[in-house]
Amino acid sequence: MKVRLKSITLSALALGMMSSALAAAELRFTVWTGNEAHLSMLNGIAESFKETHPDVTVRFETIPAGDYTQKLTFQLAGGNPPDAGWMMEDAASTFANAGVLEDLAPTLNAADGYDLEDFSEAAMGLWSGDGKVWGVPFSTSPFVIFYNKEMFDAAGLEDPLALSAKGEWDMDKFQEVAKALAESSGKWGFEFKDGQGYDTRIMHALMPPIRAYGGDVWANQECGFDKPEAIAAVQQLHDMVFKDKSIVPPGENGDYFSGNSAMTINQISRASLMSDAGFDWGIAPLPTGPGGEAPVIGQAAIVVFTAGQQKELAAEFVAHMTNKTNVATMAQFFPPARNSVLSSEAFTASNELIPAEQMEIVGEAIAKGKVLPSHERSPQILAAMKPRVDALWRADANVEESLKAVCAAIQPLL
Amino acid sequence: MTMKPATGVTVRGERAPWLTLKMREAIEAWLFISPTLAGFLIFFAGPLVAVVWYSLSEWNLLSQQATFVGLANYNDALFRNPDFWLVVRNSIVFAVGLVPLNMALALALALALSRRFRGVVFFRTVFFAPVVTSAVAWAIVWKFLLQGEAGFVNQLLAAIGIQGPNWLREPDWAMVAVIVTRVIKMVGLNMILYIAALQAIPRDYEAAARLEGASNWQIFRMIIWPLLGPTTLVIMVITTIGSFKVFDHIYLMTGGGPENGTLVLAFYIYQQGFQFFDVGYASALAMIMFVIVMGLTVVQLALRRRDT
Repeated sequence: MKVRLKSITLSALALGMMSSALAAAELRFTVWTGNEAHLSMLNGIAESFKETHPDVTVRFETIPAGDYTQKLTFQLAGGNPPDAGWMMEDAASTFANAGVLEDLAPTLNAADGYDLEDFSEAAMGLWSGDGKVWGVPFSTSPFVIFYNKEMFDAAGLEDPLALSAKGEWDMDKFQEVAKALAESSGKWGFEFKDGQGYDTRIMHALMPPIRAYGGDVWANQECGFDKPEAIAAVQQLHDMVFKDKSIVPPGENGDYFSGNSAMTINQISRASLMSDAGFDWGIAPLPTGPGGEAPVIGQAAIVVFTAGQQKELAAEFVAHMTNKTNVATMAQFFPPARNSVLSSEAFTASNELIPAEQMEIVGEAIAKGKVLPSHERSPQILAAMKPRVDALWRADANVEESLKAVCAAIQPLL
Repeated sequence: MTMKPATGVTVRGERAPWLTLKMREAIEAWLFISPTLAGFLIFFAGPLVAVVWYSLSEWNLLSQQATFVGLANYNDALFRNPDFWLVVRNSIVFAVGLVPLNMALALALALALSRRFRGVVFFRTVFFAPVVTSAVAWAIVWKFLLQGEAGFVNQLLAAIGIQGPNWLREPDWAMVAVIVTRVIKMVGLNMILYIAALQAIPRDYEAAARLEGASNWQIFRMIIWPLLGPTTLVIMVITTIGSFKVFDHIYLMTGGGPENGTLVLAFYIYQQGFQFFDVGYASALAMIMFVIVMGLTVVQLALRRRDT
């Protein structure tokens, strides 16, 4: 009797689980990668979803990263929403506040063996609140220093990884070696992220040193650019650009990846460019400062759109995509936010371009790091900041006055 | 066996007795223009009316919340937003810099290249080629040439002992740079229009004037320039409109910077609508731009009418 009851319950349960998948369905999932290795991995995950949802196919649709948020907005506004997709950190607050992202908490909590707690609280910060979850981070990628080992050797300098191991890799040392490298090589000591530090990446240029000095760009709706820590940090960068002439200045090209700068800052996904670079290289943590270690993390998450017709099914797919097995699979390209995967050997061995001991740096930075700031009005804030930051990057600029002007411009928006 | 109609005879179905010839012709005419008319109504008139409606509401594209706010967007733009007047000023500076430079250069090139000589086709092609070049490629190449110290332009200047500015990083020089590179890109189009107009002037006029002892300058001033009048007007109107609508060039070369030095109206509208998703406000700005451009065109046409 008991056995029969059990089997009836089980089949009812199985039927219930399958009911959402009974009808053939296709989920449309937007991503910004067009990389074949990425897409074949994603298609593999979609294939394994068929074990529980045999009639569901997932179509990954690539939208170029530069247009991603804009095109996504047009699709939502035009009544043609994707079911799910990737989302960049700077869009997180804007989209969540507009109410277009579905709460995934019920589905994730109900998923068998999912363990939502396994995601570190820092990693979930941007994507959750009030018991709701708007997105599950799939890439939690810290910023690291990429360095050209050959240029360091030619200048007779210890490289950042060695300096870091000795505990000497701080902002002052960073300034010193950058200057020495520029002087001895006739090239540049350091290049901002993708050479865009004065244009589209002003946050990525200013944020790491400000945090190393113990400041922040803003916190609790208050602007932090005019605080003493931020002023000291930016003054140092300004000196490096215009006095030492060691950082590639505004309006010049000094591409690290083609060997014209000794160091740059970027995420490990850029390591894919290094196989063509033709020089020995390595990665090291960001330099520390008076504020101690302050790793900075860039994030991207998977979300489900409220306007979609198959929200529940899409949420189930997200739960599948971000379970322990699949997060471990994705870790070869995207540093994970699951603690259990992060501490595993599989992760440190996952990137064939980066040796395990350097991958440990990545793991540590994820554990200790803070994500880039986000705000529901970040497009407006960035646009308001831009002209004032332009004024900062002049040789004769007064750093303190320029940063006060930045705060005056963005404070009303915060 | 079928009957073949004789060549040159229009074969028509039996005339419907209730339609007069005039009505038939009217129907045919409407049928002929209907594809264009439909396109015009759907893709031009429709959006135009929609923009007027949008401009009266506060509408966030992302959250899809729209509320009717009357003229608040216009009030905000014209009286409360200091950036707006900066943007209008930038657009006027751009137009005032671009239009005369473009027209003078186009006319000079046309005068030089309207006669037939060996290699004239080559030179015309050289000056027209930028018009058909991709705007993206054009902007990227110029950005590269206009770099601070390492840029080709500044290297060239350094060779003759001039220290060039950091072109795209100083607000005033950035404006000069976008104007000049835009002129070089677009001047070929106006050059072709002027060449066509010059070639339509009978050579007899010039020959007669020369017999009378007129100098080259007198021939140009008294004969050629007045006869180019209608072409000059057309060129002036389209170039002015084009300069107020400039977007791609700014987007690609400076992104409105540095320090908002090249933030022009069309780019500002894009920013409001497609970066901040504030469609209502962007629509109000677009209406204001429409009125400005329309006003300028009417003034130019009126001035011309007074002259003739």
